[in-house]
Amino acid sequence: MMLSIKDLHASIDGKEILKGLNLDIKPGEVHAIMGPNGAGKSTLGYVLSGRDGYEADSGTAQFNGADLFDLEVEERAQAGLFLAFQYPVEIPGVSNMEFMKESVNAIREKRGDDPLSASEFLKKAKEACKQVDLPLAFLKRGVNEGFSGGEKKRNEIMQMILLEPNLCILDESDSGLDVDALQVVANGVNSQRDGKRSFIVVTHYQRLLDYIEPDYVHILADGKIVKSGDASLAKEVEKTGYAWLGAKAEEADA
Amino acid sequence: MSQWLADVIDRAGSVQDWLSPVRGEALATLQNQQWPGRRTEAWRYTSLHPFDALLAQPGSTSAQVDSREFAIEGLDSLDLVFVNGELQTDISSLSLPTGLSISALDEPTDNARSVAGQVFTQVKPERHLFGLVNDVLATSGVIIDIADGASIETPVRVINLVTDKVESHNRVLVRLGKQATATVIEHGSGDGASMNTAFAEYQLGYEARLEHYRFALHSADAIHIGGSHFQMGEKSRLNSTLVGYGSQLSRLDVDIHHAGEHAFAKFNNIYLLAENEHFDLHSTIEHAVPNGTTEENARGIVGDNAKAVFNGRIHIHPDAQKTLAELNNRNLLLSRRGQINTKPELEIYADDVQCAHGATVAEIDDEALYYMLSRGISRSQALVMLNFGFVQELIEQMPNKALRDWLQPKLKTRFEGMEVK
Ligand SMILES: Nc1ncnc2c1ncn2[C@@H]1O[C@H](COP(=O)(O)OP(=O)(O)O)[C@@H](O)[C@H]1O
Ligand SMILES: [Mg+2]
Repeated sequence: MMLSIKDLHASIDGKEILKGLNLDIKPGEVHAIMGPNGAGKSTLGYVLSGRDGYEADSGTAQFNGADLFDLEVEERAQAGLFLAFQYPVEIPGVSNMEFMKESVNAIREKRGDDPLSASEFLKKAKEACKQVDLPLAFLKRGVNEGFSGGEKKRNEIMQMILLEPNLCILDESDSGLDVDALQVVANGVNSQRDGKRSFIVVTHYQRLLDYIEPDYVHILADGKIVKSGDASLAKEVEKTGYAWLGAKAEEADA
Repeated sequence: MSQWLADVIDRAGSVQDWLSPVRGEALATLQNQQWPGRRTEAWRYTSLHPFDALLAQPGSTSAQVDSREFAIEGLDSLDLVFVNGELQTDISSLSLPTGLSISALDEPTDNARSVAGQVFTQVKPERHLFGLVNDVLATSGVIIDIADGASIETPVRVINLVTDKVESHNRVLVRLGKQATATVIEHGSGDGASMNTAFAEYQLGYEARLEHYRFALHSADAIHIGGSHFQMGEKSRLNSTLVGYGSQLSRLDVDIHHAGEHAFAKFNNIYLLAENEHFDLHSTIEHAVPNGTTEENARGIVGDNAKAVFNGRIHIHPDAQKTLAELNNRNLLLSRRGQINTKPELEIYADDVQCAHGATVAEIDDEALYYMLSRGISRSQALVMLNFGFVQELIEQMPNKALRDWLQPKLKTRFEGMEVK
């Protein structure tokens, strides 16, 4: 098992957001998580990646056999967990290039690989840039500084490509993208599907799943997975919306 | 009254040179000055206590100094080296480009005398106590004149080194003629328990362009009080960067006076303070005429027990319509024992102006830190990258590449050393 989450409860500022979430992901699988705004999708990503203030109250998460919650944020990343942020952070003054080189080499070091030299890294970064259709000038700019919404999302995918993680969590990597950009993001993701790497694709809309075919689709509502199915579940959601969840979620609570 | 000041006044009586008439006026003013205390507004957050235990003594002990210490790779500059107030450079042996004249303060040419007549105590008529001390005691220094229309590519660098336990006073006077262009670097360094004052006055003529740097890089025990004052002529442009660290007491006054319309001034300031260092920057922007622009950015990192004081005053006179003035001071506090006193002071007497100011004292940006950690970067490395980046932005804005390349690792190393959890 790549990731196994059991009865996960998490609260923010004393308010319970995740209310007993279970999820198992095998290597190579793509799981889509859909759900209404405020359901707790981003919270799940933050809890898994270890953001301050998003600690689990109870429950477990095994990641490649290790207890994820025992690891620091950077150790989780070094162990191969990657979160593409819904709202990537701008860091003026730190160049995108320096940022990515540091992260790639930090992760390589952990794996016992030699650090990439500046020119080796530049070569890889250029390829990745091309893959997500960002001009090379973006490597020199401050991290996400002044990037448009779509450019930020593509920058996240570029990082994913460079970091070669085992498990990628994409938090609404499709939101705010036009069709061309959506395809770029989807192609980026698909190029990384190698039968071993796993994905959690969080999305509000079904649209992205036309391009990234999921093995499983889960509906997250009110802090729990209320329904799971195959790709056809996403189509169903597109037709019916999330309104039916109101009743369903209450049912599940009862 | 401090013993030191009484002594200064005493010594000033014996300074006799061609500037004596002006020095005399300054001395008269100085004699009526109160020693600044806690209740003196301009010195409120900066204690002059270190003067009670002053180890520095006047008089030049001609220390032998390795000039390589000041070598900056790739910087092809005309260097004027002062050690403890003694000029080590033979100006007559320098091959100066046409349009540039340099004179030692104690051996002025006729032209230099006329420059001094326009600049000395004229660019900044109101001086605080230490400015007056410099007026009466600074017999060492240079007078630089850039002729109308002259474009001087080679930076002129005034290196002012003061060694352990020596007191020294230095003055730089610069005039840029009409449409003249030049780069001037004030490179100050106080070793050990040195004490020095260093003031510079610049007069920028019509459409003159000045690229200016002031490096106040002192040892932890040094005392340094100085200032750079600029008088902006019509359509003149100033791009100035001041970098400071070290000193148990460092006080710098930067004044930019818009005397002619349509002038543009950019002033960046960086300070990195550790241990018990104290750095006080008072900047005063005077918009006396319409259509002037000033952009000022001061950024500092304060760790350990260090203390930063920033007072940024913008004064827009009633006639100074269409002024555009922006002042921003950003600080990062790394330690709970560190202290930052920042105070923007706006006095706006014209109604059609754009004026923005802001001052922030931040701690670590948790969101950015989390983002970096989530990419596998270690905590300590992320802290360096994050917190240095905000200073690096200003380093990158320095127009001179050799200076950027020299300063960047220097400041980064210093920052890494002061990193506190
Ligand atoms: N930092 C926070 N502080 C307080 N409440 C938060 C915070 N982050 C998220 N929440 C709340 O947690 C719930 C789930 O949010 P989120 O995980 O962002 O949902 P989703 O990503 O599914 O839209 C919402 O009610 C939201 O208001
Ligand atoms: Mg979300």
